[in-house]
Amino acid sequence: MKYTDTKLRPYVFIMLLLGAIIYGNTTGYYGNEILAEIAIYAILAMALDLVAGYAGMISLGHAGFFALGAYVTAALTVFFDWPVVAAMPLAILGAALLAFVTGIVVVRLTGVFFIMITLAVGQMVYSYLFKNRTFGGDDGMSGTPRLDLSWFNLNTDDPVVFSMLTVAFAVVVYLIFVVLSRSPYGHALIGIHQNENRMRALGCPVRLYKLAAFTASGAVAGLAGSLVAQLSGFISPELSFWTVSGELLIMVIVGGMGTFIGPIVGTAVVISLKHELSSMTEYWSFVMGIFFVAIVLFAEGGLYGLILRLRHLLFSRKRNATVAGEKT
Amino acid sequence: MFDLPFLIVQLLNGLQLSMLLFLLAVGLSVVFGLMNFINLAHGTLYMFGAYFAVSVAKMSGSYWGAFLLAPIGVALIGAVFYKTILVRMQQDQPMKQVLVTFAMIFIGFDAVRMIWGNFPEVVPTPDIFSGSTTIFGETYPVYRLFIIGLGLAVMLLLYLGLERTRIGAIVRAGVDDPDTVVTLGINVRRVFFWVFCLGCYLAGLAGVVAAPVFSVFPGMDMATLILALIVVIVGGPGSLKGAVLGSLIIGMVDTFGQVLIPGFASVIIYALMALILLTRPHGLVSVRTSA
Repeated sequence: MKYTDTKLRPYVFIMLLLGAIIYGNTTGYYGNEILAEIAIYAILAMALDLVAGYAGMISLGHAGFFALGAYVTAALTVFFDWPVVAAMPLAILGAALLAFVTGIVVVRLTGVFFIMITLAVGQMVYSYLFKNRTFGGDDGMSGTPRLDLSWFNLNTDDPVVFSMLTVAFAVVVYLIFVVLSRSPYGHALIGIHQNENRMRALGCPVRLYKLAAFTASGAVAGLAGSLVAQLSGFISPELSFWTVSGELLIMVIVGGMGTFIGPIVGTAVVISLKHELSSMTEYWSFVMGIFFVAIVLFAEGGLYGLILRLRHLLFSRKRNATVAGEKT
Repeated sequence: MFDLPFLIVQLLNGLQLSMLLFLLAVGLSVVFGLMNFINLAHGTLYMFGAYFAVSVAKMSGSYWGAFLLAPIGVALIGAVFYKTILVRMQQDQPMKQVLVTFAMIFIGFDAVRMIWGNFPEVVPTPDIFSGSTTIFGETYPVYRLFIIGLGLAVMLLLYLGLERTRIGAIVRAGVDDPDTVVTLGINVRRVFFWVFCLGCYLAGLAGVVAAPVFSVFPGMDMATLILALIVVIVGGPGSLKGAVLGSLIIGMVDTFGQVLIPGFASVIIYALMALILLTRPHGLVSVRTSA
């Protein structure tokens, strides 16, 4: 059985969306902050899934693109008084540009070398932001306003409105990615993942396709960064630290890589767990670490894979029962 | 500013950092070369080495007790880690291995906080090396010279071990072409295990040696881990010469970078690594002849 089977995807997606809408409208301020955080990191995790799950490029540097999106948004709105609606496209463009330049270098590499050089790029962004006083250095930057939607009679400073806005962004990203993965281009990416040399032999411009995926992924990571700057109004270089990329990769694995829905599930589980655990014990990262090891070692296909396996179990048992019944 | 004594002091500082990086990176590098496995928890082992040194030095009242015992403790942790988890993952893709060892960083970080607490600890410099000496008119701490000497000694021992002994030949052959080594009737797994433990021992040793110079705190592993990884990648995984070359380059660039262009030193290191990977995708010293 394949863990990337998409049959159940629409149902899981609708359930998640309904859950998010109901939860957001019934919970209070804190709940909506967490919901927005989940939606934003889900966008980021989907971006990573495009390169890691589909094209087979395990990036450990996506926190760099994420932070760049956040800092571009913060700098343009705070220093130059730009409206957020104008800053967001530039944040996306900036992150896409960095991803493009990085991509030119990294698409030649595979395996651990790919992982290491993406890590280096992310850390380059981190050490630049950490030392540069213009952007507040290690103190970070504050004061980023939220997207102004008063045209539509919506006040985004209301936690419910903002969390629903981030959920809407996540939905759009998800739908775009699903359409993309079903296009011939998406199939080519999966082909490259499975057998790069064969795809090259078939005349597929492998490096160009990988570069395009990496750039698109960076752009979406920039969008997530732009939103995270608006979430709390405060950003710091920690956003670009390499452990953020590592945790992100774990969120993708926890949910199920190469499905786009899996990363959303994984993000929701990991972030909720983190908040629950950190309110219970000071040593929450110890528990998270053990959870991560267990998931990576034992749960192939992640949580979405688990759902698939459950369905397979129920479904095939029913069919076997009827077959057995006909025989007697 | 650019007079001779200044340059010599910085050169010694760079050399000292290089030796620490070498102790860390050589285990990482040879394990990577042998098993195609990158251990992100290597920095955590370094941190454990430093903390064991704190405890042993307190209990025995002597730095040398820590110097002897702490690395062995770290090697034991490495052995348990290998036998319980790594042995299951030999056939997995690099991503899984990276993630499991990544999760070990979290576990190790909190384990240290649980056992030793959140506050920085210090290990006193051993008495015989506690003073300073004069080099070209500049005073320089003797202990740092001891680190340089120790690093050079380990380099020499490893070189002799790898080049002049039977086990060294097996290790070199294992990096080059593990399948053929297996066909020759050699138990490669057992060699892997001992090499892994030796790498952990050296990481622990780096922690013990670094403890009197830097402060010991939870999270001290992070910055060092990244530098050690860069050394491995720049030098070329699996090669002793590569680890030597890589640690000298990175140690020197980091030291001189911090002094000459503060704020950009780390950016330069990452850029240097990207440049080297662009021109030599498998590091400066590429050992693997078979694909």
